Amino acid sequence: MNRNQIHSILLSALAIAAALGATNPAHAQNAKQPYATMAPIEQYLMDRDGEIALARSAAPDAISHDATVVVLTRHGYETAVEGTNGWVCWVGRSWMAMFDHPEFWNPKVRAADCVNPPAARSVLPYAYKRTELILAGHSKLEVIAAIKAAIDKKELPVLEQGTVSYMMSKASYLTDYGNHNMPHLMFFQSEKNDAAWGANLTNSPVLAVNYWYLSADQYPQLKTFPPMSVFLIGVDKWSDGTPASPM
Amino acid sequence: MNRNQVHSILLSAFVLAAALGATNPAQAQDAKQPYAAMAPIEQYLMDRDAEIALARSAAPDSISHDAGVLVLTRHGFEAAIKGTNGFVCIVGRGWSSAADPDFWNPKVRVPMCANAAAARSYLLRITKITDLTLAGHTLAQVNDAMAVAVTSKELPPMEPGAMCYMMSKQGYGGDSAPHWPSHLMFFYSDTDPAVWGANLPGSPVIAVADPQERLTQFVITTQRWSDGTEAR
Repeated sequence: MNRNQIHSILLSALAIAAALGATNPAHAQNAKQPYATMAPIEQYLMDRDGEIALARSAAPDAISHDATVVVLTRHGYETAVEGTNGWVCWVGRSWMAMFDHPEFWNPKVRAADCVNPPAARSVLPYAYKRTELILAGHSKLEVIAAIKAAIDKKELPVLEQGTVSYMMSKASYLTDYGNHNMPHLMFFQSEKNDAAWGANLTNSPVLAVNYWYLSADQYPQLKTFPPMSVFLIGVDKWSDGTPASPM
Repeated sequence: MNRNQVHSILLSAFVLAAALGATNPAQAQDAKQPYAAMAPIEQYLMDRDAEIALARSAAPDSISHDAGVLVLTRHGFEAAIKGTNGFVCIVGRGWSSAADPDFWNPKVRVPMCANAAAARSYLLRITKITDLTLAGHTLAQVNDAMAVAVTSKELPPMEPGAMCYMMSKQGYGGDSAPHWPSHLMFFYSDTDPAVWGANLPGSPVIAVADPQERLTQFVITTQRWSDGTEAR
């Protein structure tokens, strides 16, 4: 697996996908074709018990066993299991990728994720809001406008410090590219550029992407959103302790 | 728990051993014998160019090439190279970067490259500890002085996003843990390690909170050394 494939995998999945278009325009163009619009909602839904198990597999059992679990319904995410440790596990769908990501509507994406308490308070509300708007049938432009309005009215929180997300499930499907998956941690920061952590440089173990877009060309209004960078660090084991291929 | 005990625990976690001093006082006592006092200052110093190269080896060249570099002199760290990307690379010595038994170990060399946020917060602690040590303070005196400096806000809290690269193949972490794995560190003030799920079975995150310095250090091992070669 080469570095660009790794980038694609890490970056594409998580709401936060990679610069597929930037690193490989031909692939990006091809990838756009199959997912031009939203698929029937049924293709994004899962068996409830299956979704709970997948969500929990994002982190070691020591974390996810006592976490809250939310699952996707036809109208948005709802709590399936009340946790006790402040963590929240969930399965992200393709629309959590950047708005201009070619797999934005890919119904195969299942991105298992367990977020720590600061991320549960200050990152997940954005995911819930976006999901509700999309499932209500709004266009991307309408979703973007509604999120911006919610930010301006302070209905959505300011990003907290110390946000961490575990994405170590063997069973996730993050992208059509490469091996579709890679265990990693994510960190959300109010940074305007990748340089703060030395991300995306040769031999750096840190990758970073903008939370909102690959390029602001298609949706320039996203430039007015609060800056949010997502830093990703690959880890060498899956959540069950088995070794993963080195990056 | 003092600062070097924190190092002991982190190092021990790396080598999958018990916390050195905390769990085996006899071993700690034995290990302390060779380094009961400061060695001649020359033993801690390095050739300037070699120290610059070692400091830079902490991070990939794409980061360290444009980083500032501090080198140790008889009176403390001084800037050898002014960087342009905000990162600062440095080689820690035993008094700042190893376990208690290695406080005076003149062989310790711990390269790290701190990002701008850490250079403005965490590195100030490294240089302060070094100044105190070179001025003749003991480990206990250094710990007390650091606690006072943090409480009085002479030393600032960790800035948001403070982190450093410790991916050098070279260096020497001390007799108790000579060779550290390639890793990144993240620095927070007054933060419970549990917030990151650290130290739990299966978690890739190791952390220790030092209440005296009000500092929590999170460690994540990386899969490659700074030169890109596989680290396992």
